[in-house]
Amino acid sequence: MSLLSLLIFLPLAAGLLILVLPYAWQQRYKYVALAAVGIQVIMSAFIYLNFDGNAFSGIDAKSKYQLVEQVSWINLQLGRLGSLQIDYFLGIDGLSMPFLVLSSVVMFIAVLSSWEIKTNLKGYFALLMLLNTAIMGVFCALDFFLFYIFYELMLLPLYFLIGMWGGARREYAAIKFFLYTLFGSVFMLLVIIGLYFSVQDPITGNHTFNMLHMMNPDNYIPGSIFSALAEQQIFGIPARLLGFIVLFIAFAIKVPIVPLHTWLPDAHVEAPTPVSIILAGILLKIGGYGILRICMSIFPDAAIDSAWWLGLIGVVSIIYGALNALAQNDLKRMIAYSSVSHMGFVLLGIASITAEGISGAMLQMISHGFLSTMLFFLVGVIYNRVHSRYIHDFRGLALIMPKYTTFIMIAFFASLGLPGFSAFIAEAFSLIGAFTSESVNGLLPRWMAICGSIGILLSAAYLLWTLQRMFFGKTRLMGGEDWKSKLTDVNGREIFVLTSLTVFALLLGILPSLAFDKMNASVLELIRLVNLK
Amino acid sequence: MDVIITISLLAILVLYLGLFKAAKALLPVTLVGLLVALGLTFNHWDLANNTKSIFSGMLLFNNFSVAFSALAIISTFLILMLSKDYFERISANVAEYYTIILFALTGIIIIASYHNLSMLFIGIEIMSVSLYILTGIKKRDYASNEAALKYFLMGAFSTGFLLFGITLLYGASGSFDLTEIRNYVASSEEISPIFYAGILLSIIGLCFKAGAAPFHFWTPDVYEGAPTLITAFMSTVVKTAVFAAFLRLFYISLSSVTLQEFWVPVLVVLASLSLLIGNITAVYQQHFKRMLAYSSISHVGYLLFALIALSSASDSAVFLYAAAYTIASIIAFAALMVVQKQVGNDSFDNFNGLGRKNPLLALTLTISMLSLAGIPLTAGFIGKFMMFTGALSTYHTALTVFAVLNAIVGVFYYLRVVVAMYFKDAERNELAVPVYFKIVLVVSTLATIIIGVYPGFIADLI
Repeated sequence: MSLLSLLIFLPLAAGLLILVLPYAWQQRYKYVALAAVGIQVIMSAFIYLNFDGNAFSGIDAKSKYQLVEQVSWINLQLGRLGSLQIDYFLGIDGLSMPFLVLSSVVMFIAVLSSWEIKTNLKGYFALLMLLNTAIMGVFCALDFFLFYIFYELMLLPLYFLIGMWGGARREYAAIKFFLYTLFGSVFMLLVIIGLYFSVQDPITGNHTFNMLHMMNPDNYIPGSIFSALAEQQIFGIPARLLGFIVLFIAFAIKVPIVPLHTWLPDAHVEAPTPVSIILAGILLKIGGYGILRICMSIFPDAAIDSAWWLGLIGVVSIIYGALNALAQNDLKRMIAYSSVSHMGFVLLGIASITAEGISGAMLQMISHGFLSTMLFFLVGVIYNRVHSRYIHDFRGLALIMPKYTTFIMIAFFASLGLPGFSAFIAEAFSLIGAFTSESVNGLLPRWMAICGSIGILLSAAYLLWTLQRMFFGKTRLMGGEDWKSKLTDVNGREIFVLTSLTVFALLLGILPSLAFDKMNASVLELIRLVNLK
Repeated sequence: MDVIITISLLAILVLYLGLFKAAKALLPVTLVGLLVALGLTFNHWDLANNTKSIFSGMLLFNNFSVAFSALAIISTFLILMLSKDYFERISANVAEYYTIILFALTGIIIIASYHNLSMLFIGIEIMSVSLYILTGIKKRDYASNEAALKYFLMGAFSTGFLLFGITLLYGASGSFDLTEIRNYVASSEEISPIFYAGILLSIIGLCFKAGAAPFHFWTPDVYEGAPTLITAFMSTVVKTAVFAAFLRLFYISLSSVTLQEFWVPVLVVLASLSLLIGNITAVYQQHFKRMLAYSSISHVGYLLFALIALSSASDSAVFLYAAAYTIASIIAFAALMVVQKQVGNDSFDNFNGLGRKNPLLALTLTISMLSLAGIPLTAGFIGKFMMFTGALSTYHTALTVFAVLNAIVGVFYYLRVVVAMYFKDAERNELAVPVYFKIVLVVSTLATIIIGVYPGFIADLI
């Protein structure tokens, strides 16, 4: 069993262990989970250090993936349809490796913030570990069927985590989240089946779910539904374009894009803090990762055709998310909308199909992973103490919680793109990509980059305004003296979490090459693949 | 044919046990007898799959029959395990009930192995007559009586259609034998119009039995009125048997291209209607049992996909789907029986808070609902995946998209009971789950997951 399988199934084993441990040990479950995730962090750090970004550029060649595992998994004879060949196929390249590090770190912090969970600990930690397995699996899977299984497997634990440990309207939020995501992914399944019938393994001649084979136009059976040469149509739309759109919508719901974002604020508001952290820190990235790994690589022709629309959706998300954030009273809802806005940069960067843009998008996902984790953790800190998140319930917090205010300021300034923090580099690169696109490949007009920068301005507006309203001035709290005594400053565990996240954000801001070096070759390889068309 | 003979003799043996007041021995003897029959069934499995027909071509017990018979016997076994103390509450003479269920099973095995349309008719009649009685075993219960009468009238009606269909097929081709009918289709230059009428009437007859829309209207009332144990039997084993019959008739005799042009559109309409009506009405149900009844109509719709995309892969698709559906339904009905017995009512509200008080029951029921909804890593997903793969391979894109939309609706109502169990709190006492129930729940849940993760495990059987 290699490192990737270990990384994926270690949490599952921890989850099963938690299930069999007696109830009397309830208070120790979190340590089991923490140990498992801690080992994952060490393993992912090891993978990071040993990853050679130049040699393993990945994308469409198996030999360029590191830590490859390929075992036959499901093999059903289907008579005239040949045999159903599904592999357990894992591997990492520069696009997926950074996310393994991000996921394990965010997961670690999510477990640390799970100290607040008081009820039904056995179920909670078991589900959290199952979710962890699914997330790691999604980033490692190179067989489309396997990818889909892990992708769907993420849904269930999240559904229960929101539905059982969430706030007042948790039932509504949970089912909305579930149906939204499922709506995207079941149609993805149809495209997967269509691709399966269109693609042949060049060696065995069987149909295959292997993503790498799907990226090579030579493997398409002439005349098949998704063959580029056949130019088939479904419902009057070119089949490849339709396939791209369906996959894009499936992932865009996760990202999320405007107008498919409405599940996000609801889910965030109702979810407990650790789940919000996972949602914002990892789940949204799976959308962006899917667009890069699957939509762009398998349907490059359609990606170029629809780049303008992708860019437009990105810009709309940036502006619309920011404007909505400006109007929120609930701190958590505001951060949720700011996620929509920040993830818009990812889409804008990807749509430019330039090295700067895609690198910027990748870095934006990682940076937003750390920063949104920090923001949601910070919201959790106040919410745990007084059970309110309304901005107008608080005033002058700086006087009673000075350390907390310091961290809030770091997180807010980092998020609004202050130079020196990761978000600045990431947003700058996405915008550079979008700006140069007109002269490099003519895909995106310049006004999109300009509108994108307005988004940065707006994010400064809503973050600073919130800072002013909640933290500055004389202390005045909704709950009076009672709240004042409850609002103690951050404790050791919280300081540890917040400091480590600050370090990550600063490191990536000052030395972005830590991330860029590992993924640059893969990004260039992806652009080469897309431009082959 | 040893399996059929064993089960028939077993039925008579059980009847005699009842005569000699050996009430305690009834269930063990039945279960042991079923295990013997299961062993004999597997004995017929042939790697090369070139079994010859027997009894002058009346039956053909090949791997297809082995797989479906085994599924029927195992499901019956599981359902009978739920029957401990169940019949005793209804009447003092319980031996008859076991006997009648075994007779129904005999009919089902004949259906799974017929090679002659007269045997199909005999099998369906043996099965149906037994079921009419079983539906009405709650003699003093008004709903049970109504269900029995309704089922009898509708069943007799549909058998009539089927018989008429068989007669017309015979009239055109001159034979009841499946191979002979295929030869007739292959050799004749112009197929007689009465042959087409025969196909249509057979479809109607079989769809009545399977409960496909628009021939479904008897199902909700009958499923609700019948004792839950019998409902479990009807909606799982019986449906599977009817589809085995469907598949065998269409694959062996009616699979020529010209004929497919005729009957595929008919089945596409029936499948879409079943999906639509089953799903939409299931959404509005407030009772678990009625929800299962309506959703079973939609499962018939999915099963029809295998016929629409008829190929040599259809049998494994139907088998996987039927196995997934049967196992998951057995869990659901087992949970329903526990709740009904101890709470007295099966509305969704009565499941509130079950997750806290009965973790095992809630967990197994959740996995069964996920399997019925077709969520990955459960058997139900593999079943749906096979159906969609088949339909797309024959370019039924619009139908598949429609089915996918319906699958989402399905997720919505299947999760309602999960929502009730885990997300809603209620003051309630822990429900007592008998040991037999626990065994059935755990075994079926494990099977659901094993098939979901490694479907080759049972798909290689066929």
